[in-house]
Amino acid sequence: MAKIIVDGREIECRERIPVLYAALEAGWDIPHYCYHPGLDVVASCRLCLMEMKMPHPKTKEMDWSPKLLPSCQTPVKDGMEVRFNSDRVRDNRRDCMEYYLLNHPLDCPVCDQAGECWLQDYSRKFGEATSQMVEAKNVNPKKDVGSKTLLYQDRCVMCSRCVRFCDEIAGTGELGIVNRGSKSEIDVFPGVPLENELQGNVVDICPVGALLDKDFLMDQRVWFLKSSDSVCPGCSTGCAIHVDHNRDQVWRLKPRFNPGVNDWWMCDEGRFGWKYIHDERRLDRLVVRRGAEIEYPDWSALDEIARIRFGTVVKDDGEEKVAGVLSPFMACEEAWLLARFIREIAPKATLVMGPVPTEGEDKLFPQNNGDSAKFTIRSEKCPNRRGIEMILKNAGGPSVSFEDFVKKAGQSEFAAAWVVGGYPGEWVTKEFASSLAKVKMVFAQDLFSSPLTEAAEVVIPSCSWAERSGCFVNHEGKIQPFEAAIAPLEGCQRDGNYLFALSGESGLYNASRVRAMMAEVMPEFGKLHVPPSLPKHAH
Amino acid sequence: MAKFEPVLLKNLGVEGSRTLKVYRSRGGYAAAEKVIKEMTPDTVIESVKASGLRGRGGAGFPAGMKWSFLPPERKVTYFCINADESEPGTYCNRVLMENDPHQLLEGILIAGFATKTTVAYIYMRVEFHEQFHIMQTALDEAYKAGLFGKKIFGTDLSMECYIHRGAGAYVCGEETGLIESLEGKRGWPRIKPPFPAIEGVFQKPTVVNNVETLCCLPHIFERGVDWFKSIGTENSTGPKLYTISGPVKRPSCFEAPLGITCRDLIFGDDFGQGMLDGRKVKGCIPGGLSVGVLTEAELDCKLDFDDVRNYGLLGLGTAGAIVIPDDADIRQVLANIARFYSSESCGQCTQCREGTNWMYKIALRIALGAGRISDLDLIENITNNMGMMPGLSICGLPDGAAFPIRTIVQKFRGEFEDHIRRQDPGYTKTVLKRLNPAVYELPVLGRRPESLVGQPE
Ligand SMILES: Cc1cc2nc3c(=O)[nH]c(=O)nc-3n(C[C@H](O)[C@H](O)[C@H](O)COP(=O)(O)O)c2cc1C
Ligand code: SF4
Ligand code: SF4
Ligand code: FES
Repeated sequence: MAKIIVDGREIECRERIPVLYAALEAGWDIPHYCYHPGLDVVASCRLCLMEMKMPHPKTKEMDWSPKLLPSCQTPVKDGMEVRFNSDRVRDNRRDCMEYYLLNHPLDCPVCDQAGECWLQDYSRKFGEATSQMVEAKNVNPKKDVGSKTLLYQDRCVMCSRCVRFCDEIAGTGELGIVNRGSKSEIDVFPGVPLENELQGNVVDICPVGALLDKDFLMDQRVWFLKSSDSVCPGCSTGCAIHVDHNRDQVWRLKPRFNPGVNDWWMCDEGRFGWKYIHDERRLDRLVVRRGAEIEYPDWSALDEIARIRFGTVVKDDGEEKVAGVLSPFMACEEAWLLARFIREIAPKATLVMGPVPTEGEDKLFPQNNGDSAKFTIRSEKCPNRRGIEMILKNAGGPSVSFEDFVKKAGQSEFAAAWVVGGYPGEWVTKEFASSLAKVKMVFAQDLFSSPLTEAAEVVIPSCSWAERSGCFVNHEGKIQPFEAAIAPLEGCQRDGNYLFALSGESGLYNASRVRAMMAEVMPEFGKLHVPPSLPKHAH
Repeated sequence: MAKFEPVLLKNLGVEGSRTLKVYRSRGGYAAAEKVIKEMTPDTVIESVKASGLRGRGGAGFPAGMKWSFLPPERKVTYFCINADESEPGTYCNRVLMENDPHQLLEGILIAGFATKTTVAYIYMRVEFHEQFHIMQTALDEAYKAGLFGKKIFGTDLSMECYIHRGAGAYVCGEETGLIESLEGKRGWPRIKPPFPAIEGVFQKPTVVNNVETLCCLPHIFERGVDWFKSIGTENSTGPKLYTISGPVKRPSCFEAPLGITCRDLIFGDDFGQGMLDGRKVKGCIPGGLSVGVLTEAELDCKLDFDDVRNYGLLGLGTAGAIVIPDDADIRQVLANIARFYSSESCGQCTQCREGTNWMYKIALRIALGAGRISDLDLIENITNNMGMMPGLSICGLPDGAAFPIRTIVQKFRGEFEDHIRRQDPGYTKTVLKRLNPAVYELPVLGRRPESLVGQPE
């Protein structure tokens, strides 16, 4: 650790990090555009300039530097003294903010970035209300640069973050700069659009409204959005994300800083993969079948229905004829509650992990760069295989693989099964469906209707992860909590709620309460991986 | 004053001066051979330091000192010869390469030996088509004669030399812009540190020197350090090529000891020989556009590395003088200068990218007869808020923009004001309103309260 003095106040910070970052972390709001902690330093926006005490070249006395220095390019050294509160620093910021707006179309009213725009923030805080420019503005084009991204060049501040992202993180280098001086533009080569699988990130790191997400275009004013801390269920990397929502509708996902896991990034598959949450075909009521008869009971009846029906099977067919299939899309807490319920009713029941979807190989970024991966999209397309494995291990007792379960069920070895889905797409294979037909009683807890739910005696509409809360364990064993962003679909209940009641607890489901209970038997769950939250403008 | 015997231009006009045969017959490559066979790199650097040779590329940095910044432990060293010569009004390097390519090559050998160079790159602006072929022919000849490649002069020294052609950007003359461009990237100057001596071309130690700087070397070692120091002034030693353009009787490239006055250059019999057709001098930009302007009254400024600063100029620059005659409209001059920097800024740094463009727009409007007196203050303000000297930019281009623009506006302010007063006020108003109806004539409000400035909240 180093001690440095910023504006007369001593702060402690890590050695060798840029002074800018140290000051940002310590709570200063130092304006900057080109600096991004995840990218190379170019020191070109010249907004972050500071004064530093250094020995006078002749008298050797310590004095303020004759020049302003870029704080993003100056590493912290123990004992150094810098300041941002001098007139020179302020004047430079004020001039810069005027420069940035010279050719800006000032179309904030129709800009998606408005409200979270660093040009607005800094202009208001460090700039002037008026411009001295009376000339005609340069006119810059709007361009369709990729399948998911638009570029409004006229709003660009030429920080080159997007270019560096494509070069250094994605490794695909589609974006470049053409022309010189105030005619510079961000652009792609003809016929080589922005198509990398991380392109959504360039929109995030663009500090202004120049790069825009087509999916979110003109959707919402950002100040109406509320943001919930969550974890992406798209793959086993487990990127920390924000779910941005308004009136129980999700509008977009954004990555959340999570050092060592996803850093500042997330992939497009995860980013745009949430649409199923609002799919009209989602199951939205509890269904109970008695022969040909269909009933839609109240949720409060579920507890009794489950206990009576499973109890009957245990009595008639024996404990070992009961099975529970836990899905790798469940939160650990939910899986633990369900496992506990099943084992309580039938201690010799078989517990199974549902199918773990995989797709191709892990994708490493930057592409073609050997082992120095800065981001990985994993082939395992579910968030919580490791968590479910932990629960199964802890539950002990009989447990088989999903393939064996399907085989055994096909041989009528089970009389009752509670099967949890929650997969965003179709997942019930023909084979699985036909072996389930041999199981007398099936409770299906899932999002969408499928041969599984058609045949089930009891269908429990499940919720997507954005409506639930709990934790996922990612590929390297990090236990990461996520909170419920939106209310459950009308007619549904949070899965945790009914599982909580089912397992004999009273009161409302609360993930951290369940975790505390789990931690008694599985101490790992006492310690969660929660990334630090950063001050505004600190990334 | 005794007539000055040309040094760098001694082969100018000699039949076949571009060929190795003629160059050798006039004593060429003897200095390089002597240096390589008899001296060590360190003694060469010491001699160059002692000679007081300062870079001719604009900044005037002592050449020997630059070489001594190289890290002592290194496997490869790159040498870049800056032949990008794109400073407006300057054509010394062109004359040298056109007439005496081997002189440059010999300089490269000496400098390369001193800096333990493995590969030398001559970075040439793309517009030098003919000069490229001249240099390439000479280089081929030198390679054939064993002067480059392996076992130079039969010693263990080996050094490669290539010519690289740029793509036509002023900023690629800036040393780190040059390095980026040489690496095949966009010519964006790099942030320093690291300086090229530590991390230059391909992240390896690198020296960048101007063509003319290198051309001085053979003469230093042929005739000795003391001889070299006897030319010029105390802090500015050696001969220098001066070029002059504009309506003078003899616009051309001349050689003289450092320290002649600007007046000599324009009116001297050996130099410009005075103005054409009875014109008078309004002003003169003495050292390549970027240094700033001298008025008629200031023409006695000595063109060496020091005296120019007494006249508010950036430096000696490249000693490429541009004479502005009295019948030139100063507003046009300003607009033309501003246009150059606006189109040549590379666009990385905010102040440079936006400031140069803004100044051009203002200057153009003034030239079109719709200026305001306040525009002059505004331009001056902008020039004060850009550049490497106050630390606001990555490279020196905006300093180079600020000096000519600021000095012209300051030194010819009366003239600008006269023009503006004589404008048709109705026209000015129409133009301004059409450009920006909202901003025109709105009062400028006060500054924002200090409480809002970036402290932790
Ligand atoms: C914008 C800009 C353009 C420059 N253009 C040239 C050029 O065309 N030729 C040149 O020799 N030096 C040019 N320079 C100076 C170089 O950066 C560098 O100082 C020089 O090549 C060093 O050589 P020297 O020490 O031999 O003078 C330029 C500098 C700046 C800031
Ligand atoms: S598009 Fe955005 S990220 Fe890219 S250079 Fe412009 S402002 Fe920066
Ligand atoms: S100062 Fe101007 S020319 Fe130099 S690097 Fe910055 S933008 Fe480019
Ligand atoms: S110059 Fe430091 S953040 Fe851009």
